[in-house]
Amino acid sequence: MSHAATPTLSQDQLRLPRSAVWRSLPWAAAAVGLLALVVHWLLGRGAGAARQAHFSYLVAMLYWLSIALGALFFVIVQFATKAGWSVVVRRLAEHAMITLPLLGLLFVPIVGGMHELFHWSHPEAMQHDALLASKAPYLNVPFFSARALLYFVTWTALAWLFYRRSVRQDLDGAPQATERLQRLSGPAIILFALTVTFAAFDWLMSLDPHWYSTMFGVYYFAGCVVAIFAFLALVGLLLRRARVLADVITVEHYHDLGKLLFGFTVFWTYIAFSQFMLIWYGNLPEETIWYARRLIGSWGQVTLVLALGHFVVPFFYLMTRATKRRGATLLPAALWLLTVHYLDLYWLVMPILHPEGARPCLLDLTAFLGVGGCFVALFGRQLRRHALVPMRDPRLAESLAFENY
Amino acid sequence: MSQQPTTTELSLNLDEPVDQRPPLLLGDNSFRGITEAVCRPVEWVPPRGWYIFFGVSLALLGVLVLSTAYLFYMGTGIWGLNNPVGWGWAIVNFVFWVGIGHAGTLISAILFLFRQRWRTSINRFAEAMTIFAVMCALLFPTIHVGRVWVIYWALPYPNQMGIWPNFRSPLLWDVFAVSIYGSVSLLFWYMGLLPDLATLRDRAKSQLRRVIYGIFALGWRGSHRHWQHYERAYLILAAISTPLVLSVHSIVSFDFAVSQLPGWHTTIFPPYFVAGAIFSGFAMVVTLMTIARTVFGLEHIVTRRHFENMAKVMLLTGSIVGYAYAMEFFIAWYSGNPFERFVFLNRAFGPYAWAYWIMVTCNVIVPQTFWFKRLRRSLLWLFIASILVNIGMWFERFVITVTSLHRDFLPSSWDYYSPTFWDICALVGSFGLFFTMFSLFVRFLPQVAMAEVKAIVPAAHVHHATLHPAAPHAGPGAPAAPGAAPAGSLATPASLPQEA
Amino acid sequence: MAEHAADPTWGVLAEFASPTALYRACEQLRDAGFTRWDAHSPFPVHGLDRAMGLRPSRLPWVVFGGGMLGAAGGLGLQWWTSTIAYPQVIAGKPHFSWPAFVPVTFELGVLAAALACVLGMLHFNRLPRLHHPIFRSTRFEGVSDDRFFISIEAADPRFDPSATPGWLTQLGATQVELLAE
Repeated sequence: MSHAATPTLSQDQLRLPRSAVWRSLPWAAAAVGLLALVVHWLLGRGAGAARQAHFSYLVAMLYWLSIALGALFFVIVQFATKAGWSVVVRRLAEHAMITLPLLGLLFVPIVGGMHELFHWSHPEAMQHDALLASKAPYLNVPFFSARALLYFVTWTALAWLFYRRSVRQDLDGAPQATERLQRLSGPAIILFALTVTFAAFDWLMSLDPHWYSTMFGVYYFAGCVVAIFAFLALVGLLLRRARVLADVITVEHYHDLGKLLFGFTVFWTYIAFSQFMLIWYGNLPEETIWYARRLIGSWGQVTLVLALGHFVVPFFYLMTRATKRRGATLLPAALWLLTVHYLDLYWLVMPILHPEGARPCLLDLTAFLGVGGCFVALFGRQLRRHALVPMRDPRLAESLAFENY
Repeated sequence: MSQQPTTTELSLNLDEPVDQRPPLLLGDNSFRGITEAVCRPVEWVPPRGWYIFFGVSLALLGVLVLSTAYLFYMGTGIWGLNNPVGWGWAIVNFVFWVGIGHAGTLISAILFLFRQRWRTSINRFAEAMTIFAVMCALLFPTIHVGRVWVIYWALPYPNQMGIWPNFRSPLLWDVFAVSIYGSVSLLFWYMGLLPDLATLRDRAKSQLRRVIYGIFALGWRGSHRHWQHYERAYLILAAISTPLVLSVHSIVSFDFAVSQLPGWHTTIFPPYFVAGAIFSGFAMVVTLMTIARTVFGLEHIVTRRHFENMAKVMLLTGSIVGYAYAMEFFIAWYSGNPFERFVFLNRAFGPYAWAYWIMVTCNVIVPQTFWFKRLRRSLLWLFIASILVNIGMWFERFVITVTSLHRDFLPSSWDYYSPTFWDICALVGSFGLFFTMFSLFVRFLPQVAMAEVKAIVPAAHVHHATLHPAAPHAGPGAPAAPGAAPAGSLATPASLPQEA
Repeated sequence: MAEHAADPTWGVLAEFASPTALYRACEQLRDAGFTRWDAHSPFPVHGLDRAMGLRPSRLPWVVFGGGMLGAAGGLGLQWWTSTIAYPQVIAGKPHFSWPAFVPVTFELGVLAAALACVLGMLHFNRLPRLHHPIFRSTRFEGVSDDRFFISIEAADPRFDPSATPGWLTQLGATQVELLAE
């Protein structure tokens, strides 16, 4: 409810300063990423390592994808709700979501390596298993591949539409861009919800093809939203250390990011617990097997760590107002949640490959750095190319002057 | 006699310039104007329409009382329950009413946390609706037990039988969840009423009114030291109520989802039920508000913009409900489980297909009309659509409950369920309870949260640009330290705390 | 207004025309070192906490404590009844079937927190208090309508019955009256 005048942001508030270490980020990240991918590929050619390489790669892909998808969701929702507070952080999310086409390219090895990952993709499996055979109209290689293409085409189209209009508005300041994106945001949410749901079914749920859960799409989505708020808080605070956007993204915005991070951590917990409790209570073997796999051997400990780390610790830590309003306390929380989000995805995927217990290995690291390096490289490149905030967004003034409760 | 907003004001309110926020109130938005507009329905002699409405509600309440008395006398056999459909209208009505209650908490709590200032025109009304809806909801578990005179056995207390309730049962979770939901909503509603009760106390012409409102206002005197704790309490209650409202309808959904019955046992039920509850709750707010704002002259406070926003919420939650239908359908097929697949085919094409298609039309198709701006802004369509939505949501609970039960695993047990006259009396009568409470509410309490509305009008803002003129610093007998920074001041955007 | 020479003075009440005027005056009072005073408004004026120099409310801690007690109590009740007092094997689940205990634990935690919140707020505000010298002022009835006030108690060390009312007028008060106890 501010009555701020036209914002006066100086040039060095709008662009990365020359001396900033962030300027060299794209090159460094690209180098790390490509090197890691090469090492990953080489190690994966080793004896018996192919399956591990593919599984590690799947986890890494889904991790970085969750940040990009979370960013897409965030941007769409800000337009749908005509939000004012978030304008100063929106550009960071926009850079994260525009990595979706690149991630689509990086996804090709998954589709190509389907036979290493998905039990149902083996024709012999289909022949001997009546239950799997009944799913054949959906779980077959051509349809699966076509769907993957469809998801990435949709996400790219949405990300591109929102991105292009936003950066063009920097130049022409046309309010019509905001109006158009507001109108687009409704249908965009519907497309987002459906594609993300079925992507989660395809790439995560079908790893265990006998198992099913109507909640599963929502579960992956919840993880995406936690990831993006943690990412935005982390990136914003790291930029601030380099004196970038220091007076633009204020303590009020971090408070909001912290609140949303807290809220969606609780939401993730609610979804995760509901799914678990209902399956536990019904006690049907065809459903409980999925959780049983995650309680055998060291997986039981991983499950406990996940529950404590993804819920209990962040819940009590992020509860107080003061914690969310100080960078020194919010940054560790963001980093923590990004870490435990990786653990969540690892826990979703790996029990299929390693039923006896968690077996972290080098390939996990190379995959993570490989995909992540490419993600960060593109993010960093876009950060350099465009203004750091949507400098002529009609609601920028409101966002700069925003004060929290 | 309400102050009719002019055409310009109406269009100002609905205009969407992207660099401005449109005014939330039209007409006379001075503090005095708001007080007068909201207090008038409490202080006047009500129009004849109110008496008619109250009379009809009382008659329906009478239907409830009589049919419940007969139920206690004869037992639950007078209802249409059979084998295998052991759960019928009673639980459908229970879930229906609990769902309606959710809009109030969403508007009060969740929209508050999201800083949606437009909520202040409707939150008091919606919260009252929540409390009355929860009353109607709790009615059904209470009367359906058969031996209602020993219903206290459901509560955990030491007893001579040495037994304790079964905490693993979702039905007991319901007892806790719904009654706690009612209590917390009541607390939140009452706390919100305190400043407005003070207004009514201060304006009271008769001694009786002054005393009664005065007692309930607890001596509120607008002190800012009080407002500080009050605002904190409001924020905390909003933050607590948000997970509460999510949990309540999730726990209600657990009644079904913890079972092993196809069509009931599915993991998406909790958020699906919550979305459906918000959906039906908003529909009920729209239904009631379209009438109340005209009868009570509040059109300039509850404007078309408020209705448009409510329509958008209905579009969102209706779409979530549609998404859940699609997920259930897809996963039922994907599971390969023949019983799961059958349940969904039976719903669409079996003996209850008529109920299923009413549900789909009202819940999936009707809210999609809100994509169109003209329909979002048409009060007539909003009124009709909101009623259709509530019909659809009742049918959704009916379809879920009855279709899964009436044809489960063993075909020899299949049967058809029909309600009896007494089932219908209970449902109709519950509306009587709801509308009776509602009539009393609009008669004796302010329908709009005056203090909250006043806080969002332009006149309420402190204009910092005009502060600090040349004024004498030192108070008499006090060597002052001018401009000293007070302890515990909040950081303003201009002065950030130093970051490590 | 009327000042009964026989009654001891409780304090002074000053009326202001707008939230901005009130805010400005509050800053002055805060800076002048007054301690026993208050501002009154029909709705909470944004930022007045700062202008008055108020410390943040301790209510959140009360609520947290209440909530934790409620949740612990709920879990404890279920644990004791299900494992010690009346253990039954139901649906093949263990005695301490903790996933099933979560809903009631959560709900009781929420209830306790909400009660702590409202009762705590009333306690910090020392309400209900139906009688207060400030209600003697007839103009004060407008505090729940559209008027803004500042009240300073006579017990405040900086209060001077001869000078303070005049000073308040200089700060922008439209009406000033002394109130009896």
